[in-house]
Amino acid sequence: MIPQKMHEMFAKPNHDEASRQEFVNDFRVHLASRVFPGTFPAYFGRVLPAFVKANGREPKDRHEVRKVMTKDPFYQLWSAMQRNSQEMIWDSVIDSVERQLPDLLKKAKDLKGQGSLTLNPDVVVPKYHTAADIHLQPGAYHTDSGPDDLAAGAVYDRGTYIYSMGGLGEGNDGLGRILHKFFRKQYPDMKIGRVLDMGCTIGGSVTFWSTQEPGTEFHAIDVGAPCLRYGHARAKVVGGNVHFSQQNAEKTSFPDASFDVVTSHILLHETSRPAIYNIFKECYRLLKPGGVMMHLDLPQAHGQSPLEGFLWEWEIYNNNEHFYGQLRELDMNDVATKAGFKPESFKVHQVASTWDDGQTPYSAENFTFPVYVGVK
Amino acid sequence: MADDKKPLKLPRTAKGKKPVYFDTTTDKLISMVLTLMGEVSVMRDRLDTVERLAEKKGVLKLDDIENFEISPEVGKIRSERRAAYIARVLKSVQDELDALQAQGDGMNVDVVQ
Repeated sequence: MIPQKMHEMFAKPNHDEASRQEFVNDFRVHLASRVFPGTFPAYFGRVLPAFVKANGREPKDRHEVRKVMTKDPFYQLWSAMQRNSQEMIWDSVIDSVERQLPDLLKKAKDLKGQGSLTLNPDVVVPKYHTAADIHLQPGAYHTDSGPDDLAAGAVYDRGTYIYSMGGLGEGNDGLGRILHKFFRKQYPDMKIGRVLDMGCTIGGSVTFWSTQEPGTEFHAIDVGAPCLRYGHARAKVVGGNVHFSQQNAEKTSFPDASFDVVTSHILLHETSRPAIYNIFKECYRLLKPGGVMMHLDLPQAHGQSPLEGFLWEWEIYNNNEHFYGQLRELDMNDVATKAGFKPESFKVHQVASTWDDGQTPYSAENFTFPVYVGVK
Repeated sequence: MADDKKPLKLPRTAKGKKPVYFDTTTDKLISMVLTLMGEVSVMRDRLDTVERLAEKKGVLKLDDIENFEISPEVGKIRSERRAAYIARVLKSVQDELDALQAQGDGMNVDVVQ
């Protein structure tokens, strides 16, 4: 794993903690490169022939593949190990955050830097975040373990880095780099006075944007207070300038036509069907005329083979990414037009998961993220 | 301040339904094995750190470890320790074997001491 940049707010692991984290990374690399590939011969060599023999045809979709593949011993073992590796990520990170939490809290209080933080204890954390801890992070984004807590953010900063096997780059901001690069490719000359990032968690992406667009006022919202506190502190130490506030992207307190650009970086798949309609409506309301909405998220199911579609959905059933299942089939044109975007002003782009130095956040070759772009 | 009170404890278990892969017991065994796998790796890294620091500070040379000759006395001590260790780890298997033999169910099993 390439070393993560250890900024001042980073919960630096001690010897054994670091070793444990490196082990989890190496174990996941092994699972991805040496175990997961076995699911293909398991499917084509025995699961598919057995299905064809029993039904006289191949599985028609990923749901039929699921019924038979989840009973295959090789798939079961890979899946069980993959689930464990996900739990081990958080377990390996929580130790070092918990141990250093008093210091981190003190540091955050004493920091000088730009930007601001506005918390609102009246914000209700939506059920799609409280029903289950998304991607198995214990306590998820919103659980406060004490006053002024920022542990969830510190855990997320290191945990997502290990999750991506270092693929989000040393600054853990790869998604922000990808979307910013795409935005500037599409709109090289657009003047952007104000930008809002929705569902920012620790603000890794929006903080990167703020370092690239020095004249622009950046706002970032999330429902999770500990992530926002950490994000604000993190932005200060890495030289960002972002105004964080605790708000639900479905309905914010910003006036109509407040922003030139509204973004999100893998937010949508962690919401719900009603929420995603509300979020698009809110984007439309918040944009100035001519303003641009850009949501980067995970691939939909269209065009994937039944096996590929099934494998993509591991995260839904095993990693508490429950809404991703529905998002994969959602008609995004319908979501956009119901929000007010004209059909000709809404487009789904496929954006390569690389940025300038050619790094890739995910190991799959030619992997692309869908980016939902609407212009008001 | 937080450090004036009892230490802050972070949640350790993710909320949500846990999938069953084989059965709940086998799944737990897999978790135990993988956790042990991780801890052995951590211990090996730590030993590696100790060895490298010892060499750096002139306490020993790494070659001293590689070329360490095991005397018969040390060999016997290690062998006994390993046997006790193996028996301890595999106690559940031994228990089952003992129970099968106690039942006298006709299985012809030689017990190796």
